[in-house]
Amino acid sequence: MAADIAPEAKADDGGQSGLPEVRLGLRARIAFAVSLLSLLLSVGVSLTVYSVARHVLMDAREDAAGQRALANARIIAGQSLDEADRADLLGALSSLSEVGKPMVAWNGGASSTPLDPRYNLDQLPDSLVASGLAGDDPAIMRYVTGGETVLAVSVPIVEQNAAFFEVTLLGDIEDALNSIRIALAAAVVASTVAAAILGYWASRVTIRPLTRVTQAAQSVAAGQLDTRLDYHRVRHDPDLAPLVENFNGMLQALQTRINRDARFASDVSHELRSPLTTLNAGLQVLDNNRADMPERAQQALDLLSDDLVRFTQLVEDLLEMSRFDAGAVRLELDDVLLAPTVRSTVASLTDGQVPVETDPDVEDLVIACDKRRLAQILANFCNNADKYAGGATAVTVSRHEPEDASGEATVRIAVEDEGTGVPEEQRDAVFDRFNRGDQGGARGADVGVGLGLALAAEHARLQAGRVWVEDRADGGQGARFVVELPLLEVLGDADGEADDLSAATPESTSNLTMTGEHKALLLPGNNEGSTP
Amino acid sequence: MGDNAPVATTILTVEDDERIRTSVRLALEDEGWNVIESETGEEAIASFPSANADVVLIDIMLPGIDGFEVCRSIRRQSDVPIVMVTARADTHDVVAGLEAGADDYLTKPFVPKELSARIRAMLRRARTPAPGTPHLVFGELELVPQEGLVLRNGEPVHLTKTEFKLLVELADQPGVVLSREDLLERVWGHGVFGDGRLVDVHIRRLRTKIENDPANPSHVVTVRGLGYKLQG
Repeated sequence: MAADIAPEAKADDGGQSGLPEVRLGLRARIAFAVSLLSLLLSVGVSLTVYSVARHVLMDAREDAAGQRALANARIIAGQSLDEADRADLLGALSSLSEVGKPMVAWNGGASSTPLDPRYNLDQLPDSLVASGLAGDDPAIMRYVTGGETVLAVSVPIVEQNAAFFEVTLLGDIEDALNSIRIALAAAVVASTVAAAILGYWASRVTIRPLTRVTQAAQSVAAGQLDTRLDYHRVRHDPDLAPLVENFNGMLQALQTRINRDARFASDVSHELRSPLTTLNAGLQVLDNNRADMPERAQQALDLLSDDLVRFTQLVEDLLEMSRFDAGAVRLELDDVLLAPTVRSTVASLTDGQVPVETDPDVEDLVIACDKRRLAQILANFCNNADKYAGGATAVTVSRHEPEDASGEATVRIAVEDEGTGVPEEQRDAVFDRFNRGDQGGARGADVGVGLGLALAAEHARLQAGRVWVEDRADGGQGARFVVELPLLEVLGDADGEADDLSAATPESTSNLTMTGEHKALLLPGNNEGSTP
Repeated sequence: MGDNAPVATTILTVEDDERIRTSVRLALEDEGWNVIESETGEEAIASFPSANADVVLIDIMLPGIDGFEVCRSIRRQSDVPIVMVTARADTHDVVAGLEAGADDYLTKPFVPKELSARIRAMLRRARTPAPGTPHLVFGELELVPQEGLVLRNGEPVHLTKTEFKLLVELADQPGVVLSREDLLERVWGHGVFGDGRLVDVHIRRLRTKIENDPANPSHVVTVRGLGYKLQG
């Protein structure tokens, strides 16, 4: 077992290093990664598609424009027409193509009248005009005019010392490319969103085993120690099988350990109680014959008797404490008429020597609490007062309303004494195990070990209460030990018989108003099943 | 000490630990009881019919058949008062012991004087003297304390002595709520630290014998937070 634990401890030491703080959930991160990948892929594909489409369309348009310009130029070159005929011809040529805007220029400055005033020679790039008039090879050029991209072709007409130009519009291609762009962008967005959704869904499938592990862990935490993951289902899964196997192994080890601890506590209990029974009985037989003994033997017998009482109490306290530590305690909530219960308990603890003051509003109060534990707390408070402060002098019972809306009403039972009090810095420590505080120095003949207050604290904690020590309410010298318990009211239907005849624990007959918090209190009790 | 105890009172102790058995016998004999010892459950069951025990003391943890089984077996033959002795104070043992028919239980280590007090209380209740009116009638129930008799619709109901004593205490003040502590003190002779489960289990058993519908009792009713009362 020790070997099992060691690596865990080691991992704990260095556990904080390495991993950055995680803000996004695992599923969100998976979805994010998938959608990012999808985004990159779809953007890449879209850019490629777009540029290919653009090239194809543009090249085709350029080819067509060049071919048409050459043909047109040949037609014009083959005619010898005057200005007006040429204009008609240009009009006829231009009507052949929706996108072509033909024009002719002669060396010396004359040019045809542009058919479309938006596209004239002045707008053509100078270099293109010059190269055309200079009789260079036909050229094609793309340029921007008036905010739109157009294609201009120059074809020299050597015969007439002129040049033919044609502006080809690209607007329809731009429109088509725009449509493609929009379609591609929409596709990118759609595929990214789809990838995110897919990623989130896929991640759910991926982390489903984690969800099951979480549920199992919760179940174990709730006391269901025999919870196991289904190994059979994942035995062929190389990723999950080791996880499930190790998780189950851990649970098995945990269960074994807890059961062993509980059994050990139980065995110790039996082993210690048996000889104590013999001691008590044997000592009583001796005590019955005390009168016949020599004085020295009587003295020794008294010492034995006193320490046997102390030792018995110590064993009881230790066993009680070990039950708390082993988680083998069980809260037994009962309907308790508080004031009379406290009165009779204190009366029996102090032989009726200590007055019990109860506020009027707690006189008829019935609360749900563990009566035995309440009595133990009071007994330990009174014992403590006996040991260190000459005995309790007053007990008060009061009800306290919550300080804010989220709080709950409580009852407080306080045991006061007139001893030296507990100094401020000792007030937490007195509830530690075996802590005797400063008072430990003045250990008298009957002073036992300091488990009583620690047990009182455990008893209170088990029922969602707490204990503390403070100055006396009246400011006098002495200490005031207080136990505060939640005021769990009992649903009072006087004759309602909730008594379940088949219930194994008759004390659980209370019909309590319980919030979730209080239910959680009962959890430690679930471990009881593990007590053999 | 033995003021209430007649000389002939016999206690059968069932305990496997020889040292405990012997020391408890010595202490009980000092209290004036006659003690018969059994080492095992089998031995106890075999010797019970001839032992004429007035009280049986059974350790729960025994080799062979356990204390619960011994208790059940003896309870089938007799309503002799039975005290279970347990080395563990957990709910399961206590309730299981009481369910098996025990009248009371003690946790080790116990002081023999306390055991004696319990035995005396049990013998007192076993020999219930009947104070007050001879016949008490609650609907179809009729109590004849002097004869230790309970009739339901005219038919005698078989109650153990503890159950009978419990019913008589409740019937003593009809309609008055008795707390568990009251009942623990009156029936079992326990102090304020007594165990309320003792009362609950016996009340439950009593109901199965005298109520028409034990799940919805009409005679022995629970008053939440206060205790129990008997009504017609």
